[in-house]
Amino acid sequence: MTDTMAFWIVQGLHGLQFSMLLFLLSVGLTVIFGLLHFVNLAHGALYALGAFVSFSAVKLTGSYWAGFLLAPVAVAIAGMLLYLGLIKRMRNAGPMNQVLITFGLIFVFLDIFRIFWGDIALGVEEPALFSGPIEFWGIKYSAYRLFVIGLGIFVLGVLHLILSRTQIGAMIRAGVDNEHMAACLGINVEKVFFIVFCVGCALAGLAGAVAAPILSVYPGMGTEILIPALIVVVIGGLGSLKGAMAGSLLVGFIQTFGAVIAPQIASVLVYVLLAGVLIFRPAGLFPARS
Amino acid sequence: MFHQTKLKTFVLLAILVGLIIYTMNGSYFGRELVVEVAILAILAISVDMVSGYGGMVSLCHGAIFGLGAYAYAAVNVLMGGPPALAVVAAIVAAFTFGFAVGAVTSRTRGIFFIMATLAFGQMIYVMIFDSKSLGGDDGMWGLTRLDLSAIGVNLESGVQFAIFSVLCIGLTYVVAALILRSAFGRTFSGIHENEDRMRALGTPVWKFKALAFGLSGSLAGIAGALAAQHTMFVSPELVIWTFSGEVLIVVILGGLGTLVGPVLGAVVMVFLKHEISNITTYWHMIIGILLIITVMAGGRGIYGGLEQYLARRAAKAAPASGAKTDA
Repeated sequence: MTDTMAFWIVQGLHGLQFSMLLFLLSVGLTVIFGLLHFVNLAHGALYALGAFVSFSAVKLTGSYWAGFLLAPVAVAIAGMLLYLGLIKRMRNAGPMNQVLITFGLIFVFLDIFRIFWGDIALGVEEPALFSGPIEFWGIKYSAYRLFVIGLGIFVLGVLHLILSRTQIGAMIRAGVDNEHMAACLGINVEKVFFIVFCVGCALAGLAGAVAAPILSVYPGMGTEILIPALIVVVIGGLGSLKGAMAGSLLVGFIQTFGAVIAPQIASVLVYVLLAGVLIFRPAGLFPARS
Repeated sequence: MFHQTKLKTFVLLAILVGLIIYTMNGSYFGRELVVEVAILAILAISVDMVSGYGGMVSLCHGAIFGLGAYAYAAVNVLMGGPPALAVVAAIVAAFTFGFAVGAVTSRTRGIFFIMATLAFGQMIYVMIFDSKSLGGDDGMWGLTRLDLSAIGVNLESGVQFAIFSVLCIGLTYVVAALILRSAFGRTFSGIHENEDRMRALGTPVWKFKALAFGLSGSLAGIAGALAAQHTMFVSPELVIWTFSGEVLIVVILGGLGTLVGPVLGAVVMVFLKHEISNITTYWHMIIGILLIITVMAGGRGIYGGLEQYLARRAAKAAPASGAKTDA
């Protein structure tokens, strides 16, 4: 194995790991949009909430896995409260009002984080099981990052199975396709919506817990990752699992390899891709509804 | 469609005169607030022009504003150009970017449009942040202000600069109103009402959308040039995406699609923010909650509420006067 080969493989793994993080975040965003027609700009804030909860859980118990398990649950509960309090009422209010409400939520969350956790960046230790690098084919790579890649693929697989093979999956697909028809066929669409919203939030919380050891935990982390996640959703096509994966891989790899190959224009490449998609495929690469 | 009603003229003039009187009698800090109001008001007018009358809800006007400020700084500092040329550069840069965004996103609607504007705005932020020649993270300083000594105005003076800023609000409002009242503006509103019908009538929809977004962008560029002259310093902070959201809050708070409402919203927002930050550092949360309440309440905004109240009063008075003429 030559050094250059090893270098590119490591870059590829970096790209894959970033893609998986984006996928965990954007899959909730895109399915919530596809099903509820609801735009949740506060999705990034929920991701940050997951990271903060995991930080506190790790600090209290001393175990990474406590945060890993607790963060999705806590964020799902937060999402539940948001859904019952605000989002249910705003479902038919039009995109602008939804954007404004959830933008207001970003502000509220930002100050909640500041009040409870302060303004400084906090660190979370990698779990002992995946600490340090792993060696294979003469390449050293962080075991934790490999774990993130594996987790992303696992979540994709589980979601795919649920959506394509189970009854609830069929209900969700029916709801995305035609909400009223699904309701006429006796599907409790409201309940399906509620479940999907909570699962989407839980995945955002999971993404936060997983990201915490790689990136540090700070109040603005949600607003920072929101834009790449939205780009993934727009490129992939709203409401589609395949689109979220494809978009995550495109954005993740373009950002990682762009920074290595052409650092001068790397930051703009993703936006060029976005512009291209908007011009030629305004509904995204894999729209859920054709 | 846009109509310049008497109420709009009255409210606008009242705000402008009020701000000028406040500037004359206010402290140094008061003048700072007035300039802040002016910058926010101009930006809010430009956002309302496309969002209120064209349905193009923009989350990139903060970036266009920052781009204008940076164009001003680039010509003024890097090339040593005169401020007048820098203002032109700010407007041209803002127009060009606005036109491009409008053209690229012309086929997208609703939430896709909002997300796309957000992303393209962020592109400007990333470009500025990564650019060494534009000062990157540090920004640029040593900017000079317009030299209006030919007409006896000295913008280095705080009072005169504040009054100049207030007059800029009036100027921007007039420009926006003239654009919206023109045949072009009517067609633009028509596209908002029914895009397919306008297309069927033979209107090149994308051109109208792109041009309207460009024109609105150039007004945001004026706000940017004003901000650059105000602080005589630019930094990537100007281009951060949440600012676009804040401007949208101002528009909603004042009244979307009223053109004068956003000016009112800017006054309320700046003074409210100032008052709240005196009490607590967590003003974000208060503004956020306020925004949620405004939208949940059905969001006509302050000016929309005022208009409705006056209309109701007039309706109550009308039958009474009608009865009199019958008798």
